[in-house]
Amino acid sequence: MAKNHVPDWLNNSLWSSRSPPPQQSLTPAKTSIDSEDMNRSTNSAVKSSVSAESSVKLPVPMPPPAVIRAEPRPVPPPSPKVEIIGPLNSSSSNCRSDGENGSSAGSTTTSGISSTEDISRQAQLSQELSRKIINLGEVRRLASQGIPDGPGIRAIVWKLLLGYLPTEKALWPTELAKKRPQYKQFKEELLMNPSEIARRLEKFASLENDGTGTDIEGKGVLSRSKVTQEEHPLSLGKSSIWNQFFQDTEIIEQIDRDVKRTHPDLHFFSGDAPSAKSNQDALRIILIIFAKLNPGIRYVQGMNEILAPLFYVFRNDPNEEDPAMAEADTFFCFVELLSGFRDNFCQQLDNSVVGIRSTITRLSQLLKEHDEELWRHLEVTTNVNPQFYAFRWITLLLTQEFNFPDSLLIWDTLLSDPEGPQETLLRICCAMLIIVRRRLLAGDFTSNLKLLQNYPSSNISHLLYVANKLRVKSAG
Amino acid sequence: MGNRVDHEYDYLFKIVLIGDSGVGKSNILSRFTRNEFCLESKSTIGVEFATRTLQVEGKTVKAQIWDTAGQERYRAITSAYYRGAVGALLVYDITKGQTFDNVQRWLRELRDHADSNIVIMMAGNKSDLSHLRAVSEHDGQNLAEKEGLSFLETSALEAVNVDKAFQTILTEIYHIISKKALAAQAAATTTTLPGQGTTINVNDTSENVKRGCCYT
Repeated sequence: MAKNHVPDWLNNSLWSSRSPPPQQSLTPAKTSIDSEDMNRSTNSAVKSSVSAESSVKLPVPMPPPAVIRAEPRPVPPPSPKVEIIGPLNSSSSNCRSDGENGSSAGSTTTSGISSTEDISRQAQLSQELSRKIINLGEVRRLASQGIPDGPGIRAIVWKLLLGYLPTEKALWPTELAKKRPQYKQFKEELLMNPSEIARRLEKFASLENDGTGTDIEGKGVLSRSKVTQEEHPLSLGKSSIWNQFFQDTEIIEQIDRDVKRTHPDLHFFSGDAPSAKSNQDALRIILIIFAKLNPGIRYVQGMNEILAPLFYVFRNDPNEEDPAMAEADTFFCFVELLSGFRDNFCQQLDNSVVGIRSTITRLSQLLKEHDEELWRHLEVTTNVNPQFYAFRWITLLLTQEFNFPDSLLIWDTLLSDPEGPQETLLRICCAMLIIVRRRLLAGDFTSNLKLLQNYPSSNISHLLYVANKLRVKSAG
Repeated sequence: MGNRVDHEYDYLFKIVLIGDSGVGKSNILSRFTRNEFCLESKSTIGVEFATRTLQVEGKTVKAQIWDTAGQERYRAITSAYYRGAVGALLVYDITKGQTFDNVQRWLRELRDHADSNIVIMMAGNKSDLSHLRAVSEHDGQNLAEKEGLSFLETSALEAVNVDKAFQTILTEIYHIISKKALAAQAAATTTTLPGQGTTINVNDTSENVKRGCCYT
């Protein structure tokens, strides 16, 4: 068989080396972790100085007054001044002061970025983002190598890559002014408790003719007539809002359980601090709204882990101080991101060509194509079914396999790939296997499965480099 | 055989942990295999895997324990994980009546996907939260008798009965295996008793309970 032996490039000495290969210009992972920390300070004074001083002309979208004005009622208002407490990692203290006093905010504060390439890439990205019409191809190219830290750069780039912000910057305010109130409306309509809905319906019925009814009428959610007679908690009618409410309770309890278990190691998400509580609330609300708007999928365990990085990045964007706006942006970007991956969550599709099983099979094929020896050892010799490890890798977009800052870097690459995130994801998964191939080849079923379920911490630039190399191989 | 590298055991038994989301499966696993408990553990997606080797009636048994996601959506996927399982620990939360009510669904799940001889232990977990108790021990006991399951109340947090639960399952499996081995020996004199390194293959057969001891 032609592919029976390991290709030469796999045996290159670089596999055992921890340092990135010479020709690449990727951000060293460690550096980026440090710089990521820079982003954490959300002191509002800093924020304004950041955007003012930065060489980056970061546009601050101005939502119309209507959006800013009101906090959605049914939701406990998230505290506006959220302090992001708690370092992402031990190295944070080095750069924390920079962020807090704000004196040196801007491109020069990115003390974590050591390489000139990163600085130049950051400058290029900033320059690209300052154009009236942003060249998305160029943004993709730059971001695919990891987004160097800069105030809010990642937030804007992700929003662009996910198609939430159009490339024409003049349209941003209109676009946001359209979306954000829409989310607010979802919240008002979908999170209302049944007695409130019933009360409003009664009120609506009485006001029907004078045109001052509540804002539910337009959406057709509850537009049936005579509902008020049926709407009581003991109603057995399938259409009863109470029946719906009890069905929802189960899913909401599941969401609650998982939101509480989201990144228990990060203070941003976990702990007793008010900021963590309000961040958890935001995740919870987004997931509930998503579940209600997508009855075919509802909530699937693990969605919280995909939501978390988006919310973290947008909530820490110094250009967007209002937590409610960050929440709205996160919701739409989450929907957008999931639209590419939702099939993985859909049980009905498990055995279809787009479902999770066939995605895992594609990973297996990719490995076979690039490293048949390893493939054979894993799947034939040691019987490690790729489902046993790759299920989580793929459905959770690698958020559980690496530390949080590293998974953000991986997402930079995932989101920026013009081929779409799924292909890139599979290449990265394949690269993860290849990188530990020596240990895998020496291992048995137990040790291999343990290794892959607890993937060792890795140099992310190196990983992405290898993954990219697989693309070249595939094409050739 | 994949586990050839590891000769340190007489038997390898695969056990699955099942039960509703949030009942404490992952903590039972970590308590048993690492003696750890984490109040804020992440939710399990897909499957997680751990092993512990222990003595059962003088034999060294390696327990290979599979922890699965609790949510219904994952059951279709996790059915692959039942393959080759010779034991199951079906967990509910004594403070959540719903998780006890769902025991029947999990039993059905086992009937559909696992070997019919699988040894099942039901565990009412979180016995440390007695002030929040919603399911009496008596009810648990009754259901277990009715369904022919072993039963214990456990606390992964306080490390109560976790080892005992696994030990009970493993011992029962061992007894079944030994009995079958004796029967097999009686039937065919050429077959020897399971000896050093006998593996109950969990990877590629669903019938290892029946045949596990007979091929080497």
